[in-house]
Amino acid sequence: MSKLEKWNEKIWNFFASVDLAVALFIVISIGAAIGTIIPQQLEPEPTIRFFLKFLSMNNATKAYEIVSLLDLNNLYHSWWFTFLLFMFALNLIVCSIDRLPNLLKSYKTAPQPLPHEILERMPVKRDIELSNKSSIADKVLDILKKKGFSTNIFQTPDGVQLQAKKWKKTRLAVYLTHLSILIILAGALLGTFFGFRGHMNIVEGTGLDFAISDEGKTIPLNFQIICDKFEVDYYENSAVPKAYRSYLRVLENGQTIKFNGKDTVVVEVNQPFSYRGITFYQASYGFQPAEHAEFRFTYFDESGKEITIKSKFEEKSKIPGKSVTLKVIDFSPALGIDEQGRLFNMTTDMINPAVFVEFDIGGKKTHHWILKKIPETWETPYGKIRFDELWGAQFTGIQIRKDPGVPLIYAGSILLCIGLFISLFLRPINYFVTIHKNRVIFYSPSSKGKVIIEKQLDELINKLKGDKE
Amino acid sequence: MSYQIISIAGLLYIIAMPLYIVYLLTKNNKIGYLATGTLSLGLLAHIYGFIQRFKEMYAINHSFMRSIPITNLYESLVFFVLCLVIGYLFIEWKYRKKSFGVFVSIIAGISIGLTELLGVTKEVQPLVPALKSNWLLAHVTLSFISYAAFAISFITGLLHIIISSESKKSFKYIFSTTLLGLMVFILFSMLIDIATAGNPKAVRIFHSTLGNASAFISILSWITMFVFIIIFWRFGEVIVKILKELKIDANFLEEITYKGIAFGFPIFTIGGLVFGAIWADQAWGRYWGWDPKETWSLITWFVYAFYLHAKFIRGWSGSKTSMVAVFGFIVTLFTYLGVNLFLSGLHSYGSM
Repeated sequence: MSKLEKWNEKIWNFFASVDLAVALFIVISIGAAIGTIIPQQLEPEPTIRFFLKFLSMNNATKAYEIVSLLDLNNLYHSWWFTFLLFMFALNLIVCSIDRLPNLLKSYKTAPQPLPHEILERMPVKRDIELSNKSSIADKVLDILKKKGFSTNIFQTPDGVQLQAKKWKKTRLAVYLTHLSILIILAGALLGTFFGFRGHMNIVEGTGLDFAISDEGKTIPLNFQIICDKFEVDYYENSAVPKAYRSYLRVLENGQTIKFNGKDTVVVEVNQPFSYRGITFYQASYGFQPAEHAEFRFTYFDESGKEITIKSKFEEKSKIPGKSVTLKVIDFSPALGIDEQGRLFNMTTDMINPAVFVEFDIGGKKTHHWILKKIPETWETPYGKIRFDELWGAQFTGIQIRKDPGVPLIYAGSILLCIGLFISLFLRPINYFVTIHKNRVIFYSPSSKGKVIIEKQLDELINKLKGDKE
Repeated sequence: MSYQIISIAGLLYIIAMPLYIVYLLTKNNKIGYLATGTLSLGLLAHIYGFIQRFKEMYAINHSFMRSIPITNLYESLVFFVLCLVIGYLFIEWKYRKKSFGVFVSIIAGISIGLTELLGVTKEVQPLVPALKSNWLLAHVTLSFISYAAFAISFITGLLHIIISSESKKSFKYIFSTTLLGLMVFILFSMLIDIATAGNPKAVRIFHSTLGNASAFISILSWITMFVFIIIFWRFGEVIVKILKELKIDANFLEEITYKGIAFGFPIFTIGGLVFGAIWADQAWGRYWGWDPKETWSLITWFVYAFYLHAKFIRGWSGSKTSMVAVFGFIVTLFTYLGVNLFLSGLHSYGSM
């Protein structure tokens, strides 16, 4: 063999070895673990703040230099971590090419009787003598066949040798598992190169036709997303949110796109929507009063009719059918009462929205708090007025994503599950039986699940004995 | 209320422990039945409590798929113990061996007991929007079933290492006694945390010991921890001797360790990783994002993949593989509890 061929073989064997696989398991795990400890942010400040917990300022800055040199603050996308994953994939491919043909060949070759020494080295052995000598081999064969084994029988100088196999093809499932991991990695690669992720914050009543990517770049969309309304539902009498909901509209070339016959689509957490291969997710929200923000009320007139009143902050609005005006002079998204009975605002979340209104009837002014969630406060001297919402003061944070690799990920995941289930739950079972006169010896080469195999062998033997006695 | 019934179940688990010990020492079949009976009775109470809690959740959420009570730390711990006890009783029935019932009942009893002592929220809470998905049932139940399977392989693996350790200098001996010392230290430390906290809600793990604000107490705690380990190393022989005298079948322990992983690994892959990825894809807009919980799940997966490859391809056997199994569960435990306690991320529902 030439030197080159020798090297070739050496490299091949290196990539085909389980030792490399096992070493990669360890190294990738340690690398990934480091990434959960060191903050994964590109700015130096979070990393330095992290090291300041146990190092001096000087050393913390030095630690940051090492961190940024090895990309530890962007570990999962660093060159060396990517390299490890690439090695992992290469190892899987080479290892499968190296072993699969041998396995396939073993299915094709005709079974051979095994020499006595090999049988004696097997971890499971049961040695019995039966009183009746007639047709033992047939009985063993019969029992094994009933249990679903495929059998081969050989005449050897030491007597009859019986080989029973079940689920022998399930060993192929290991390669299915390996293949599925490669498919998943390929899907991830596809997503990295041909997909994008971004974010858009849309204020209620406005629209956007671009998103900002995670790297801070602008991603233009060929259509506009308009947020008609955003709301947070709370569980009754509690500040626990029940649902975050955005009512979105898609405007393309000046036309509203219909979804299931409707103009607006509702996006909630766990309920995204897709358009032109891009998926939109409810991700965040926030308080951000816009120029067009307005308070919306429902006025119940004497006949019980409901009339909507819209009023901007500190602007007078007329109550229909009356010579009274209404003016919002204060607003609280989460009105609370402290221990001294004073009113205060808890957060900017709309947990308990309330408005302080000034009624003006010919110069005579009165003031009232109207709370959205407390019907008693709707009763004013000028009739029943319900505060509905402050519209245009919140933005909805929409996460957008396009990832052509997802179908591969799903396919790979399904194959991974199938492969693992077959290879771990349907392990091949092999029995070797030698019969010489009335002496029967059972062997099994598998040491995994030895106790159960021995139990199954005992069952077989009992059946065999039961037939005799 | 459901949690009171579950407390009773925890009490029964603790009662089962001495019965299992007496059985192991005397091999008296009647006491054996009594031990299994007590554990089973605890399980029945546990299942009843679980169903009650399910109903309480259903009354709030009105959805069968989203009412499974595994939405916070307390509920997940209760479900984990439920799976552990069911798994153990199944093995006991299948193999007709009661040799590690003691340890299962200790872990089950302590876990339920700690939820009593720690300021864990036991009230039924409405679902936050992030958890409102039908994937909740599949992802979380399967994850915890696999954790329980890994826990069983941990118990038998550790037992296996202990009974097969020969000398004080052997790595097996040092490994197992260090681990025992650490476990006992952590338990004591948690009890001190509970005792020093003003009210159950203010309990913070390790705040009274290792992570104390005073450097003196903190250093003292670290020293105490090493003292614990050294004590266990010095006197661990007694434990080894006692356990050896119980004549637990090493093959049986090795096999259960393997079966626990062979069962848990595919369940973990499908429930924890695959279903988790699908859910993340729907809720967060990416199937994988190197969130601490995701990353540590992957590490757990690698450790058990290591175990399987070492056993099947490299032909490792005996206590060498058991050590990997024990280490695997430590990583699992970190994925389950450690990530929520020490790291931050998107999976914050499991915090206290």
